[in-house]
Amino acid sequence: MPESTTPPLPDDPAGRVEVILEAVAAALGLDEPVTVTETDDEIRGVIGGEEVGLLIGKHGQTIDAVQLLCHQAAQRVMDPDSRKRVVVDAADYRERRNESLRRQGDVAAEEAIASGRPIELEPMSSAERRVVHEHLRDRTEIETYSEGDEPNRFLVVAPLVSG
Amino acid sequence: MAEVTPAALLDLLARSLVDEPDQVQVTEVPEGEGELVLELEVAEDDLGRVIGRGGRVANALRSVVRASATQSGQRILVDILD
Repeated sequence: MPESTTPPLPDDPAGRVEVILEAVAAALGLDEPVTVTETDDEIRGVIGGEEVGLLIGKHGQTIDAVQLLCHQAAQRVMDPDSRKRVVVDAADYRERRNESLRRQGDVAAEEAIASGRPIELEPMSSAERRVVHEHLRDRTEIETYSEGDEPNRFLVVAPLVSG
Repeated sequence: MAEVTPAALLDLLARSLVDEPDQVQVTEVPEGEGELVLELEVAEDDLGRVIGRGGRVANALRSVVRASATQSGQRILVDILD
């Protein structure tokens, strides 16, 4: 048995997210501050600082894994009537990533309209697809939908044929 | 926080996922040069919780534990015992 240097887990969802993020930061050798905030519909954990590249990982793989585990761990002690979303961020990674996703959506929309053909985006998580769906929702010349199976599910931007 | 080894991290993450945290056990099995196998044992009824639909949770555990070993240059395999 390895010596456990991690504390026991609290019973409140936000407290669990904090303990997990502190342990992940320590295990990754990151001496960076962890902050957890809670609103009516969201628990948001942020690991700040400069050295967060290792936490993010290739294509965001590591931070998405941390977010999934925090979500599962928080879910276990959450009131079933008031389920909250769990978001894990590193510095401003999510905002930069969302900006890039919206930009990809715009480019695909222009391409779909110009070519008259559906344009497929790269595979992304359901949370990332939602960002693109919502960004393009009000466009009347195109529609968006998802195709394929997880984890390779991807979003399609297709022109709406008028008349 | 004090140093957290990959094994301690896996232990904490697994305990956060299961109904019976006291039955979580992580065993370090050195496998020769720069390679370490972490054997994860949980209560039988908790197996599904550390594996997840389509192995999503197990894959997430592997991603995070592997990232924690990057600095030491060690290769880590997570083996979920059933």
